[in-house]
Amino acid sequence: MRTPPFNLHLPTTVSEAVQISAELRAEGRETDWIAGGTDLLPNYKWHLNTKSDVISLARIEGITSVSMTEIGAMARLSEIADGGEAHPLIAAAARKVASSLIRNSATLGGNICLDTRCFWFNQGEDWRSSIDWCLKCDCGTGADCRVIVNQNELCVATYQADLAPNLMVLGAAIHLAGPEGERSLPICEFFKLDGMTRNVLREGEMVVKVTLPDEVGQWQGEYQKLRLRESWDFPEAGVAAAWRLGGDGTLAELKVATTALESIPRLHDQEVAPIIAAGWSGEESITALAKAIQQTVKPVNNTAFPPNYRKKMTRVMCERALAQLSIN
Amino acid sequence: MGDEQMKGYRQQPGKLPFKKPGSGGGKPFSELRDLDFIPESLDGRLAQPHGENRHDYLLTGSSIGRRTPMIDDRWKVTGQAKYGDDIRLSGELIGRILRSPHHYAKIRAIDTSVAEALPGVEYVLCGQGHKTLFGVLPVTKDEHALAVEKVRHVGDLVAAVAAVDEATALEALRLIKVDYEVLEPVHDMRKAIDDSEHPIHDRGKYHIGESNVQKRVFQEFGNISAMKDSLATSAAKWKFAGVNHGFTEPHAVVAHWDPSGRLTLYTPQQVPHYLHRALADVLDVPMHQINVYRTFVGGGFGGKSDPFPHEMCAAIMARETGKPVRITFDREEVFWTNRGRHPSLLEMVLHADQQGRISGIETDALIDGGAFASFGHVTTYYNGVLHTAPYEIGAFHYTGARVWTNKPASGAMRGHGAVNSRCAVESGIDDLCDRLQVDPITFRLANLLPPHSTTITGFRVTSIGMRECLERVRDASGWVEKFRKMPLGRGIGIGCGFFISGSGLPIHWDPNKFPHATVHLKVDMDGGVVVHTGAAEIGQGSDTVVAQSVAEVLGLPIEMIRIKSRETDTSPVDLGSYSSRVTFMNANAAISAAMVIRADLLAAAAEITAADEKMLVIGDRRIYVKRDPAVGVSYLEALHKALEDRGALVSSGSYRTPPMGKSHKGAAAGLAPAYSFSAYVAEVEVDMETGQSKVIEVWAAHDCGRALNPLAVEGQIIGSCHMGLGQVLSEEMVYGRTGHLRNANLLEYKIPTVHEMPKVTPIIVESNDPEGPFGAKEAGEGPLLPILPAVVNAIYDASGIRVNELPVTPDRLFRSIEKKIKAEEVDNALQLPNPNLQYSDLQNVVEARALDHGKRDDERQLDVEREPYHNGALFGLDPAIAPEEQTTDWVISLTPDEDYLADPRLAGSAWKHTERRHMGGEN
Repeated sequence: MRTPPFNLHLPTTVSEAVQISAELRAEGRETDWIAGGTDLLPNYKWHLNTKSDVISLARIEGITSVSMTEIGAMARLSEIADGGEAHPLIAAAARKVASSLIRNSATLGGNICLDTRCFWFNQGEDWRSSIDWCLKCDCGTGADCRVIVNQNELCVATYQADLAPNLMVLGAAIHLAGPEGERSLPICEFFKLDGMTRNVLREGEMVVKVTLPDEVGQWQGEYQKLRLRESWDFPEAGVAAAWRLGGDGTLAELKVATTALESIPRLHDQEVAPIIAAGWSGEESITALAKAIQQTVKPVNNTAFPPNYRKKMTRVMCERALAQLSIN
Repeated sequence: MGDEQMKGYRQQPGKLPFKKPGSGGGKPFSELRDLDFIPESLDGRLAQPHGENRHDYLLTGSSIGRRTPMIDDRWKVTGQAKYGDDIRLSGELIGRILRSPHHYAKIRAIDTSVAEALPGVEYVLCGQGHKTLFGVLPVTKDEHALAVEKVRHVGDLVAAVAAVDEATALEALRLIKVDYEVLEPVHDMRKAIDDSEHPIHDRGKYHIGESNVQKRVFQEFGNISAMKDSLATSAAKWKFAGVNHGFTEPHAVVAHWDPSGRLTLYTPQQVPHYLHRALADVLDVPMHQINVYRTFVGGGFGGKSDPFPHEMCAAIMARETGKPVRITFDREEVFWTNRGRHPSLLEMVLHADQQGRISGIETDALIDGGAFASFGHVTTYYNGVLHTAPYEIGAFHYTGARVWTNKPASGAMRGHGAVNSRCAVESGIDDLCDRLQVDPITFRLANLLPPHSTTITGFRVTSIGMRECLERVRDASGWVEKFRKMPLGRGIGIGCGFFISGSGLPIHWDPNKFPHATVHLKVDMDGGVVVHTGAAEIGQGSDTVVAQSVAEVLGLPIEMIRIKSRETDTSPVDLGSYSSRVTFMNANAAISAAMVIRADLLAAAAEITAADEKMLVIGDRRIYVKRDPAVGVSYLEALHKALEDRGALVSSGSYRTPPMGKSHKGAAAGLAPAYSFSAYVAEVEVDMETGQSKVIEVWAAHDCGRALNPLAVEGQIIGSCHMGLGQVLSEEMVYGRTGHLRNANLLEYKIPTVHEMPKVTPIIVESNDPEGPFGAKEAGEGPLLPILPAVVNAIYDASGIRVNELPVTPDRLFRSIEKKIKAEEVDNALQLPNPNLQYSDLQNVVEARALDHGKRDDERQLDVEREPYHNGALFGLDPAIAPEEQTTDWVISLTPDEDYLADPRLAGSAWKHTERRHMGGEN
């Protein structure tokens, strides 16, 4: 296994990074951002969509902050998990990512922008040649999707990152910088339902930071992660829930999001709204909501667990994530 | 002290008249010894639970029984150990392998011209020029250096390139054009039993029909007709996924033809000698021209115990280029090389009679061998014969078949061939006990073979510590308070194990002519002992146990023993590290060799001191009269005396198994000079809503005869638990709908992490084997067997789900829970009934028998004049006579009759074919 050679660029400011990217693209060269490298480098070793130029964000100053309301793109997951500054829900979710060694390197930005995964895709070159490649990495062969055959249009690789659904339920905004300037948008609008393009990042655009609303401290939450082993494994399904209680201790607001069930993480406002509208009744509402969410998720067969199991577990995890609200 | 009282040479400790070279410099004193621990040279006695051992008189208190860190541990932890890929020779080329993208295809043509023209490419190798077949077993050689006519699985070796660097080699692989004619692959082992248009291999006249059946076995022993007249029957159809060893170090090899025209092959190998033979065959040079150098081995577990094609490729390319060639595998290639545990379909039927005896075991095992034979011939037998003990059984019916499919080859893996069927039989016993409503530990205790007995298939079993294992895990785990008494979702289970301690027959030669293991010793003026042994140190501690044995006999600290086990040039021939043979055979050989040196030293010491040789004992670097320790000489003094006139002391010791076993075809499979026994209790937690199981604690008792190094034995027990837990809960080679190995990497191949590892309490049971070195037996593989059934039985206790598919991943268990919810007509998993136990009348019967048999076994263990005991005595036969000689009811049958063939079980249906040599004229 050999990492293919690439040119490494080491900008020290965001604007320099954006500029390098733009210049390289102008020369017709392709670029990737590298943050912690825990996702990109294994993929490069497998020769998955490698680029000639890689721009490291490691030396950029000022994008590593961790606080209740702001987390820089280059904040390490170990800092988020154990630093004591991040929102408890975000910290708890970060603690469930991969292993402690990986968390020392992995970053918030990298985790949000994690490449989608699929067992037909995350394989060595020899292996992929034995299936005659796949849509997500077709190596110029025009290969079909191996998960859902004969469709040849949409990549259904699974988004298997832990932090995004938790940021979603806390109402985070994501801040981007690119050749056309800076912009920010709700993190719910960041992802794009396509395993290949994955998100709305434009050419040469990078994630700078994530911000959370000022009153995020009033929100509590819970993240449930389905996986075979309690270390290393990507989520096979994940449910994040966050809620705010009113002055009288009753439920005021509730958000639920899921991850690892399709090519994007998804906020389930549509399923939550009618249940809240009908009046929160604790356990019964939880059961109904969990059922409703289970019905909306559409996992496909491209991760370790079979999709029907992941779907059924979504309900159980929903119930467990909301268990604290059962007596309300 | 007057001169007249002086008898011979007397020496005060520390008052040497002159310093001897190497006497310890400023530290010439011996350490204080525990005199009680040191027996007299002759007629010594040691208080032991199970009597004396023939090696007791050799104990010096130096090393045996002490917690001894591995002698090479510092090399490893300081990063100075050289593993396969650490060997760097100047001017090396990097070799890479082109692998088949097809499951099964004919190679029409290979065009290497473009690759050869690439600058930096030194050699491109194809299979056509090297058609010599090789394989670990002489009866089933079916591998080539590179594919000759056909590729047999995705990842099969097609061509090899040697180039100046890895990038060039990889680029060259892309430039090799192979023209394939794709053939219809076989992925399903059930279909491999049938005739095929293109059988994966052709064994000529020995081919079984036109099928892909590589080996089939039919065995019936005992009172077959009576077994079905049973009080309870447990029947289950099992499905076991294939698992890989998951060793840390990928395969790597460096081949170097030196200027004298000899090949040195550096490779992490468990079986250097078999590789030595295969290399000579394939390279067509005499064995003396080859030196196989075993590097440090980063884990083997059976996965490095075949001669491998890539080793041949490296050797050939090094010869052709005149430069060293290094090949290192990616993890994906390791999975494609595989040799892991066979995916298996197993049917297990157990019968129990009115008295709670196991009146019969019927097993049918279809095992998926993948594309090559490897050890499979033996595996097919082991799936049957290795679960005929430790219980006394009324009948044994076994049908087994190993088939070729278009998958990476299965082979030998820790617990070779015994693991899956052991899991099924122990789970079956648990089920029987559930049906009979008796306690499963009591039931087992009432059905054990006594020590020094003969099993139903004719294995000669010597020491048995099974009973003690069971009793100790029962007491340690709080079994009585917990079993069937914990709430839903929490459970406890028991499993036992039985494994060979070395295989009785060497693969390549007649055991009556050549020993299994040979050890050479050399002691020169410096006093250090050089040990030459061919036992392959693969991390299990074989160097350490050999060093300990020598150190013990000679009364030396282990640091004075130097093990030279790396090179076939300097090592005596040894079969290697497999079938848990090293401690038993090599330590025995080492003891024999050390006894010769010991005799020389004692004679020299007697000459110096004029003491009676019989009164001398060896302590820490001293030889002295036990009752008068002041009379004695230092080790070096005795050694120097012994060296006079002859120079370095050299000696050779060897071990070979005694003649044993029955004489039927296949009788040798599973024969061993001794057997290990084990019993584990596991406590698990099952999340009834998700199907996730977590093992909380394991109590693991293993009878290793005698723990020469308790630290190593405990390490093996804990490591076995980890490895077995992987197979039972998470590890699986997943072949998707297209037959591609889906998870050929260590992220998706789910080896348990530290979070999944329960607390393990190792319990060492010492039954003191009469033929083992100092009483020892194996501890490397046997400890793996019981963890699987202990966990699945605990899952039943926790959830009421009788598992019959491994690994028990959460989704599988959840599916069973869902089915059970439907069957029980309850709303959710939390309302499912918990298994319960209301003792039946039979409980008293088995309890009484367990008590009786406990006394019987204790007496038998210590009684040297004991009568023979044949399996069958429990069923009313005379124990002293082989049962088949007593009654015609007791059958031994090795071929199925027409009745059976009219309605065979799955693997048994392999017998519907006729071997080609028998087709001949009459067809």
